[in-house]
Amino acid sequence: MIAAGFRLLIAAGCVAAAFAVHAHHSPAMFDGSKQLTLTGTVRKFQWTNPHSYIQLVVKAENGTEQEWSLEMGANVYLYNLGWRPSTVKAGDTLTATVVPLRSGKPGGLLVEAKTADGKTLGGAPP
Amino acid sequence: MKVRCRVALWVLACAFGGIAPLAAQAQPSRADWKGLWIGEGLTAQVSGFPGPGANYKLLGQDAPWSAEGRARVEATFARQADSKANGWGFPLMMNSAAPMQFLIAPDETLIINIYRDVRHVYTDGRAHPAEEDRWPTTWGDSVGRWEGDTLVIDTVSVRNPNRYFFSSPPLSEQAHYVERLRMTSKDRIESVMTIEDPVTLTAPWVVNLAYVRATGLDRMIHDDYDNDRSEVEDGLFTILPAE
Repeated sequence: MIAAGFRLLIAAGCVAAAFAVHAHHSPAMFDGSKQLTLTGTVRKFQWTNPHSYIQLVVKAENGTEQEWSLEMGANVYLYNLGWRPSTVKAGDTLTATVVPLRSGKPGGLLVEAKTADGKTLGGAPP
Repeated sequence: MKVRCRVALWVLACAFGGIAPLAAQAQPSRADWKGLWIGEGLTAQVSGFPGPGANYKLLGQDAPWSAEGRARVEATFARQADSKANGWGFPLMMNSAAPMQFLIAPDETLIINIYRDVRHVYTDGRAHPAEEDRWPTTWGDSVGRWEGDTLVIDTVSVRNPNRYFFSSPPLSEQAHYVERLRMTSKDRIESVMTIEDPVTLTAPWVVNLAYVRATGLDRMIHDDYDNDRSEVEDGLFTILPAE
């Protein structure tokens, strides 16, 4: 018989399970209750392991620029989805859906990226 | 005349239905295990996490934990926020987002994933080393046998899996794992894993798993952690700035 408190603990773990299991680090750093939409220009695309990153320069309404670090899965995971090292290039304009860092720093988890003409990059295995 | 009719019907069936239905009935062979496989429903999306509905059954949510097991699980939740992993380890590599390969030779089957988790499953009839001659490792010691088309794997001497991967079940080094893997179609392998552990479980923990083809990969690709930008800051990870 599982104690009620423990059952609740396990249940809470299960709700977050899909989000919680990652082969590198805990996702507690990301605020899963929020999603941001950012449009900007790519400074760098890092096709790397254990994570790939897009460095996106976003211009605020007051004209100032801020560089966001957008974390993605490992390069091989992206490859399995049809991404390649050349999929994103410096200078590309992207609109990104991001789960932000809890710390408020300019970074987050990339959920989806669209090109300037509205095409979604990657997504599901080919 | 009857023979001609049967031939004509077969030709018509092939012409309109193709021969695929006949081929689909063919039993898969060990040669069909080649290629890359991934836990069913666990394909990592752009974020690196699988999509909604992913079920990591080996996390232990349904395990018959003993008091010691429950205490260990609670402790693992408490320290996850600032933990890192270098791979999946066993048993979680058998229920993961990491594509893996089964390389079947007469005397041994190798199970390898993209994080370079490797299991050597000896199928030449040897036994585990004597208890006093073996020690716990992250992937354990595995021996196996083929029962018809089912690969049966017996694994012992696995170090507490949660030490290697912060999400893994905190089983003891006395845990005994038995897997029965069978290809049920050319694109699906099913496995029943039964875990017994006198330290953390009150009864055998039976987990039904399945693997489907990783359709976006035509080869195994390994890479090291050449760009680890995750660092703990105020108890949580953050992303270090890019160069």
